[in-house]
Amino acid sequence: MRFLTFLLLLAFIVLGVLFGALNPDLVSFDFGVTRLMLPKGAVLLAVLVLGWLLGGLTAWWGTRWRKTRDRHAAAHGIRKDRAGK
Amino acid sequence: MNPVYLMGALIPLAFLSGWWVARRRGTRRSGAERHALSSDYFRGLNYLLNEEQDKAIEVFLRLAEYNRDTVETHLALGNLFRRRGEVDRAIRVHQHLVSRPNLSDDMKTVALLELGEDYMRAGLLDRAETLFADLAAMNAHAPSALRHLIAIYQHERDWHQAIEQARRLEKMSGESQGHDIAHYYCELAEQARQHGARGDASHFLSQAFEHDRNCTRAYMIAGALQVQAGDYKAAIDSYQHAIGTGIAFVPEILPPLLECHVRSGTMDQAERFLRDIIERYHGVSPVLALTRIYRERDGEQAAVAFLTEQLRLRPSVRGLMALIDATMDKVSGDARANFLILRDLTRKLLEGQAMYRCSQCGFGAKAHHWQCPSCKHWATVLPILGVANE
Repeated sequence: MRFLTFLLLLAFIVLGVLFGALNPDLVSFDFGVTRLMLPKGAVLLAVLVLGWLLGGLTAWWGTRWRKTRDRHAAAHGIRKDRAGK
Repeated sequence: MNPVYLMGALIPLAFLSGWWVARRRGTRRSGAERHALSSDYFRGLNYLLNEEQDKAIEVFLRLAEYNRDTVETHLALGNLFRRRGEVDRAIRVHQHLVSRPNLSDDMKTVALLELGEDYMRAGLLDRAETLFADLAAMNAHAPSALRHLIAIYQHERDWHQAIEQARRLEKMSGESQGHDIAHYYCELAEQARQHGARGDASHFLSQAFEHDRNCTRAYMIAGALQVQAGDYKAAIDSYQHAIGTGIAFVPEILPPLLECHVRSGTMDQAERFLRDIIERYHGVSPVLALTRIYRERDGEQAAVAFLTEQLRLRPSVRGLMALIDATMDKVSGDARANFLILRDLTRKLLEGQAMYRCSQCGFGAKAHHWQCPSCKHWATVLPILGVANE
């Protein structure tokens, strides 16, 4: 399974590099305060990676928040149980 | 296609894929945490072993909160609640377990068995009986279920059912239940005797002897039946057999046996038998019985001489009291007052004493019980052989 994941990752990296190499032409990006000329393929890849990271971060925060909430609820339940004894 | 539009379309896709991967990893990690929770389980176990049940409950509660699937944790919690007398909470925990749809059959029967025990503890015997009967019918944990069923029928004094279940248990486990079954028949025989159904009583006694040839209690009930029929000779035989099979029960058997000898006019035979018994039995009852015989036959002096001699061999407060009573008439003045004080003292000493003790669980009692009220074993409550007892 791990080897398969590795192969898939390798394939995507190769595709990414290939995509960057096939789209080397510069595109103008206007950020309001400044204008930048950046390679089309590289920008596309960078934005994809950024989106992927943001998605991961959101999921991680979500899980963490849920666990903290469960822990507080469990602690409250124990205290209530022991008080009601 | 404009690359900016393409990026706009791909960003949400990238975001979603990142979210999905992180979510999957998070789930896997929480699985690993579940393994780490086993350290909590051992901590709870440690508290249990150290008899710190409060802390153990706290740990197990936390475990159960984190991982609602852990059957063992719930079982441990339920048992703990039951042991602490919080039966309603134990019932809730076990009911919750039983109601789970994905529980394996094996675990479900374990939970049902525990739930049955909870019901028994709570006094809901009808519910417990139904549960155990179902388990026994399903052949799931049948020996345990049958043992609980027998305990319920004993409590309800439903001896016919107790006999039936004991027979099933014997067949299933291979362990002999003859001793207990004989006592169930003795209970039935005693009930029949008290209602004047001598034929039924004899039938139950023959069944008792079939299961336990040396059943002391059955011999005693047979003796009582023969007394009712006026056959004192046969009753003497039965009581002597009873002593032969259970010499520890001499204090229980001697009074009716001596009564039979009195009624049949065979006191010489009684004296010979008691002489034989005091060689084998080290309690004070046969000595006191012989003292009474000597008093009536040979006079007070011979009786006191015999009692004094026996008290040197086997010191006993009950014997001392008999000696004080016997010599009270011969003394007067200050000596009599002192004797009275001594008699009161010995009486008070005897009043606070347990005369019987269960050889299985150590339960102390003032009166004799055929079934120990504490551990429910049969014929284990025996007279205590000691200076202040028998």
